[in-house]
Amino acid sequence: MDLALKEINRLPVPTWNLLGINSADINGVPAVTAPYKGEYLSELPEGVSISDKTVYAPEIDTGMGADAQKFSENNKNCGATLRVKAGVKADKPVFLRYRIGGQNSSVVDVTCIVAEEGSEVTVVENYSSEGGAKGFHGGLTKIYAAKDAAVNLVQVQMLGDGCTHFDNVGGAAEENAVVNILQAQLGAGEAYAGCKVKLLGTGSRLNVDTIYFGDKKRKIDINYVAEHTGRKTRCDINVNGALMDESSKTFRGTINFLKGAKKAVGHESEYNLLFSRKVRSRTAPLILCSEEDVDGQHAAATGKIDPDRLFYLMSRGLSETDAKKLIIKAQFQPAVEKIPDPSIRDAVFDYVKERLDSVESIS
Amino acid sequence: MEPARKKTKVKDIDRTIYDFKDKVNPSFEVKEGLTPAIVEEISQKKGDPEWMRGFRLHSLEVYNKLPLPSWGPPLDGLNIDDIVTYIRPKAKMSAKWNDVPDDIKNTFERLGIPKAERESLAGVGAQYDSEVVYHNVREEVRRQGVVYTDMESALKSDKYGPLVKKYFMKVVPPQDHKFAALHGAVWSGGSFVYVPEGVKVEIPLQSYFRLNAPGAGQFEHTLIIVSEGADLHFIEGCSAPKYNVANLHAGCVELVVGKNAHLRYSTIENWSKNMFNLNTKRAVVDEGGTIEWVSGSFGSHVSYLYPMSILKGEHSRMEFTGITFAGKGQSLDTGAKVVHMAPNTYSNINTKSISKDGGYCAYRSSVKIMPDAYGCKSSVSCESLMLDDISGSDTVPVMDIQNDDVEVGHEAKIGRISDDAVFYLMSRGISEQDAKNMIVTGFAEPVAKELPVEYAVEMNNLIKLEMEGAIG
Repeated sequence: MDLALKEINRLPVPTWNLLGINSADINGVPAVTAPYKGEYLSELPEGVSISDKTVYAPEIDTGMGADAQKFSENNKNCGATLRVKAGVKADKPVFLRYRIGGQNSSVVDVTCIVAEEGSEVTVVENYSSEGGAKGFHGGLTKIYAAKDAAVNLVQVQMLGDGCTHFDNVGGAAEENAVVNILQAQLGAGEAYAGCKVKLLGTGSRLNVDTIYFGDKKRKIDINYVAEHTGRKTRCDINVNGALMDESSKTFRGTINFLKGAKKAVGHESEYNLLFSRKVRSRTAPLILCSEEDVDGQHAAATGKIDPDRLFYLMSRGLSETDAKKLIIKAQFQPAVEKIPDPSIRDAVFDYVKERLDSVESIS
Repeated sequence: MEPARKKTKVKDIDRTIYDFKDKVNPSFEVKEGLTPAIVEEISQKKGDPEWMRGFRLHSLEVYNKLPLPSWGPPLDGLNIDDIVTYIRPKAKMSAKWNDVPDDIKNTFERLGIPKAERESLAGVGAQYDSEVVYHNVREEVRRQGVVYTDMESALKSDKYGPLVKKYFMKVVPPQDHKFAALHGAVWSGGSFVYVPEGVKVEIPLQSYFRLNAPGAGQFEHTLIIVSEGADLHFIEGCSAPKYNVANLHAGCVELVVGKNAHLRYSTIENWSKNMFNLNTKRAVVDEGGTIEWVSGSFGSHVSYLYPMSILKGEHSRMEFTGITFAGKGQSLDTGAKVVHMAPNTYSNINTKSISKDGGYCAYRSSVKIMPDAYGCKSSVSCESLMLDDISGSDTVPVMDIQNDDVEVGHEAKIGRISDDAVFYLMSRGISEQDAKNMIVTGFAEPVAKELPVEYAVEMNNLIKLEMEGAIG
């Protein structure tokens, strides 16, 4: 029997219930998950090991909330805890590739990344499915970046329309640590993503780059929280997306300056292009502030493509549809280029191209 | 270069302002404070028409069913017994000048308001002076065919009674939220304004002249109808602090803006700081019409205030300019709501908030664009200023866009007074306090410039008074 996860992706400060943005529910969560069959972990770089111990920072909260976190922990069928030794800069990324289809109808991966002092690692999580496969992915990724460590997490989701997906990320950064997160939410019938990172240490940083792409009836629901505790902490959240057909998206982004986070800087931006009369785009960009000596900014823009840009491209001989496709690709380019692996990068471009090519006209 | 700053001790973070959800004052919910008998009594004493009596009783039913809001600042300390006491017609309502708290008296004094007017502004005076002014105003607009009277008279008048019946709580139905329902059940006092087609009212109408109605200023109902092509500027409340013996204000403002009409609704609200201000304001705007809100919130203990505009007709517009200043012991949750129902509608929200001395400001907004409302434009800009590290400020905007032919922009900024700016002014021989006052006044400038000059001056004085001792 299928379960439901209620009230996930909660807005840290609720607002009018009528707007329906305070939280989301995920239906169709499988009650039982079979063990994942097949290899998913790439060869580890030197200095990175698999550990039995989970992250030694149990207080890490996740963006989707405790219920989603517990679900993944209790039903885990794959994933790994990666420990990076102090001072080690991993020379290649760690890849975790999961595929829904055939024997695997559900992927519930729990991945912990522990970067010890001064270390650096890149972890790439890639989710895809076989054509037409129905399935479920509910992942949990916990990040702990010790003093001066750097963790780069790249999550690329290109599941088919028959899949329901969630990506739940939680992290903590100590003094001068850097957490870079890149999320590409490109597929699945319903895609949920949450991320909460606590910037605990002085000078710690969080960069989030997200791209999303909605077509057909896709439902995308995102909740990001950057919590500034330490002094001189900084976060930059950049979200770029495009919505077509009857797709819908909810984006919640919160910068939370707690008392004591002096000289903290938090910037957040969302740019969203709309291509169909039937899309729905909801945005709630929050800034919470209990400290005076901070700089918090947020900008959001939603709308149609700038007609001047369109006209320019069309004057160069592109059809309107091709010009629009080009603009969508350009919207995604800066984030996609940050994906460290050329094969995944190309796969993302091919995936977007394929999705766009199936579109005959964009309103 | 930065001036030396005081060290701040980092304590455990107090997040209780967000944790109120489960501890909403239970005494408020369980006690059956308001009974149909009380409401009947009010209706009878006021000599309501039959439909109004039914409406009040219906609203009471709705009130008893609806829960308290699950969001916003805590309502602890809101006392239902007091509400009942003050709305019971037999209860002693009169306030005495001696009972007005010292800080409010001082503010009047320092704003330089004469004694007679102080008393009337505070809502406790005999209103003699104001009454004269009011009569003059009334005579002038009457000649233009404008109706400006109190709600009770309009309700009972043969001519305007049907108009009141047509619009009363149609823009804000009692089902909207608990306090709208409470208002529907116990409302009393307020203004009724009707501007006929094509009439442009040159002077702003001001509602504080009407405060002499008993119980007004607590559950007052304002209904303004601006007919096709007409133009009105209405100023609500007054810029000086108003002392009220009760602790709840749940007024309701309904504005009906006709085709190509224009209405500006200005409020500088400075309730005494024991007040729960749970006011509801809403405008419905027809084709080509414009609603402009100018809103300043300085007083009250807790405020929930979000003037809403429903852009019903094509090419209708709304502009909202607001400022909120929260000091010690204040939680002011303010903002604006707009629904773009029709194509080619336009909205612009511009707000500023200042928190100091442990005060908490929240900017909360919602911009909704309906599926058939294509060609809409909306821009939101909110800026928050923190004057010290014991205060708080949250920004909670929501945008809900349901078609693609829109241009929606949103900008938010939060921060402190720039040290460079203070240093620059100080290097020109201005004291630190004056420099900060100048910067805060400049920050409030976009609101001040939208107000009639005497109100702008008083608002700036108010800011100056509030700023005293606020070196952060």
